[in-house]
Amino acid sequence: MKRLILTSIAALALTAALAAAPALADDTLDRGIGSEWSSLDPQVNFDAAAGWIMMDTYEGLVNFGPGGEIVPGAAESWDASEDGRIYTFHLRDGLKWSNGDPLVAQDFVTSVLRTLDPATVSEKGYYFYSVIQIKGASELANGETTDASVLGVTAPDDRTVVVEMLTPAPHILNIMGAFQIPPLHGPSYAANGAAGFTDPAKAIVNGAYVFKEIVPQSHVLLEKNPNYWDAANVTIPFVKYHVTEDVSTEYKRFQAGEIDITYDVPVNLLEELKASVPDQLMIGPSTETTFYSFNLLVPPFDQKEVREALTLAVDREVLQEKIVKGGAIPSYSYAGGFDPAYAGPKFPGAELSQEERNARAKELLAAAGFGPDNPLKLSIVTTVAEDRTRLAQGVALMWKQTLGVEATVEPMERKAWLDAFYAGGWSVFGDNIVGDFAGAETFLAYMRPSAEPGYNWVKPEYDAQMDVAASKPDKASRDVELAKAEEILLGDFIFAPLAIEVTRNLVSPGVKGWVHSPAGYYNSQYLTLE
Amino acid sequence: MLRFIGRRLWEGALTLAALVTLTFFVMRLAPGGPFSRNRKISPEVQANIEAAFHLDEPVWMQFGRWVWGLLHLDLGPSTRFRDYSVNDLIASGLPYSLTIGFWAIVVATLVGIALGIVGALRRNGVTDYAAGIVGVIGIAIPIFVIGPLAQVLFGLRLGWLPIGGSTEGWRSLVLPVVVLALPNIAYISRLTRTSMIEVMRENYVRTARAKGIGPRLTLTRHTLTGALLPVIAYLGPATAAIITGSILIETIFAVPGIGRHFVDAALNRDYPLVMGITILYGGLVILANIATDVVRGWIDPRVRGHD
Repeated sequence: MKRLILTSIAALALTAALAAAPALADDTLDRGIGSEWSSLDPQVNFDAAAGWIMMDTYEGLVNFGPGGEIVPGAAESWDASEDGRIYTFHLRDGLKWSNGDPLVAQDFVTSVLRTLDPATVSEKGYYFYSVIQIKGASELANGETTDASVLGVTAPDDRTVVVEMLTPAPHILNIMGAFQIPPLHGPSYAANGAAGFTDPAKAIVNGAYVFKEIVPQSHVLLEKNPNYWDAANVTIPFVKYHVTEDVSTEYKRFQAGEIDITYDVPVNLLEELKASVPDQLMIGPSTETTFYSFNLLVPPFDQKEVREALTLAVDREVLQEKIVKGGAIPSYSYAGGFDPAYAGPKFPGAELSQEERNARAKELLAAAGFGPDNPLKLSIVTTVAEDRTRLAQGVALMWKQTLGVEATVEPMERKAWLDAFYAGGWSVFGDNIVGDFAGAETFLAYMRPSAEPGYNWVKPEYDAQMDVAASKPDKASRDVELAKAEEILLGDFIFAPLAIEVTRNLVSPGVKGWVHSPAGYYNSQYLTLE
Repeated sequence: MLRFIGRRLWEGALTLAALVTLTFFVMRLAPGGPFSRNRKISPEVQANIEAAFHLDEPVWMQFGRWVWGLLHLDLGPSTRFRDYSVNDLIASGLPYSLTIGFWAIVVATLVGIALGIVGALRRNGVTDYAAGIVGVIGIAIPIFVIGPLAQVLFGLRLGWLPIGGSTEGWRSLVLPVVVLALPNIAYISRLTRTSMIEVMRENYVRTARAKGIGPRLTLTRHTLTGALLPVIAYLGPATAAIITGSILIETIFAVPGIGRHFVDAALNRDYPLVMGITILYGGLVILANIATDVVRGWIDPRVRGHD
């Protein structure tokens, strides 16, 4: 409390101090990041916005170039074993930390160990025991062992990192970037602990930028790292990430030139911006998909015909273009649309026109015993976010018009909504998930009955088919098996696919090199400022 | 006087204790927890995280733990902002919130009283009507409408001031302070005007004029001291209004203060942060009310008397 009193006194002094602060410089790229970063601890931070700061300040074994394509990072090359379980990464020669210390392979091993250590209290170990299954990761994360030698990430010499997995996973490279596997500078962590990550004088990094200033709730200022191996190609000297909680304030700050790249765009201005500044408005698919799940334990949703009828009777194009208007892409599949190489199925009936789908839906629902005298009644549980509520109202309206369904919308605050899913009282759940990379597998693995009991879906065939896919080491044949699994999934209509969500950014004309990235990787090192 | 202050402080402490106890338990009734997510985290890891923040303990034990921390001036760790303790977050945000709040009260009081006096002296004149219109606008239009309008006008159209943030020194403070002060300017000016008009009709003011004291001296010595009592009484509630207003202001103008944390912390079920801000705000409002009472008691002995 003494500190609070001192702080209060400091408040008055601050007014004077602020007056001396320098104005925005032209060599600074100003980026909005939405809400405040939850953590700058590279092994703890789990949100996308802070991820941008992490991607600028750290470099993983691989990096993500313009558009999010996988490019060599700290590792200049890598090779996979025949069975696809073991990946060997070869680090560049002469890699350095920002303080000049040599960067060695063991720094990556230390990072994974710290992420998995229960004492770190990190959720991020999930990437290593769930998204890919690294040998020993789950035992370490669950506290079954503290023996670091069981871990399948090893450094046989200073320039080699070996990752050994229990099953082959061609998507491993997607999670070998700075967000998931930033190296850890052992000596500074030993000296400062986690407090060192938020002190610009102590935070030692290996990315294109170093921390210069960290002000909670306000901004993070980064400066070019001269010790970065590719510093010659980093052209923007300073990058400033501003907390931009309020989207309309962010938009005004963009208009006034205070922000060069926004985190989001006010949805109600989308149409206007598409017309007035089409070259500054960047919209593209993200790795988030929206679907409406049916509760298989609540009659009549245990009948497939009812679920199918509800899935068919939604006009997805009208829904997005005329009702939600947030730019989301209508979707007729679940895991497709993220990775161009994946040729997945659509739900049965997607090939028909909307009129035909509506007619079929009416027949199905009538066959299930519902009609004008006996209307189906249901409620849609969704979050209070404006676009989500609008989506639910749109779907309810279509179900009413086409099928005479009496649907009510039950908006909830996000945390309550998350809990409501497992509480299970709902009939239709406004669902969405964010994939860990732009590929089909991340979504399909999520739906495994063995992995997510919350859907109450009993389907051994699906688990079996996913196991078949998981045994294929090469991506092309794996995608073929995954598509078969998706067919099983969509054929049961346990949910109605609706849309692929988009990211929306405004990018000032002075910023060059912005390429839309589905996984959301926009490293400042690949941008230039004019 | 000391006894009066001591008694007020004791009552304030009891109010605060009731407030934090209620907040603590009511918040736990809301569904969802700080670590509810829709990602596949292993149950062991989830349990480990909850145990690290003592969320696995019964609620009464968590409350005991929190009170124990409070007695040691430790408000605990934030569950949403993992790098900082609640003490750190308040220490970094409070200077901004206090700076804006302090200047908003100063501006509101000075401008409000000035407008009120002018209105009272030139009743039904042009200035009075103008002040009246400002008053009605200030009270009737909410901050979340005036704020964005001010941003568009002074930030975008005229380009005089930054739209948000805190990086441009005093210029960053102007809009938040003015917009935050506006409803209070309106209220204080109306209050001053009415009270002035009333006091000017009082016998002691007439006596002063009859004794041959000039109009200016009568105004400052006699009329104002009497007329300002209700205005001073309003400063307590005004502090509360400034605090609630700052929650919106800080979001609209991207000010890195603590008001912004309040709603965000509640939505994210960051229990320690909500508690920390509640006790801080509760304490501030109670102290402001006590200070107001003391000043009133000092000006007007009757306030002390009937206590």
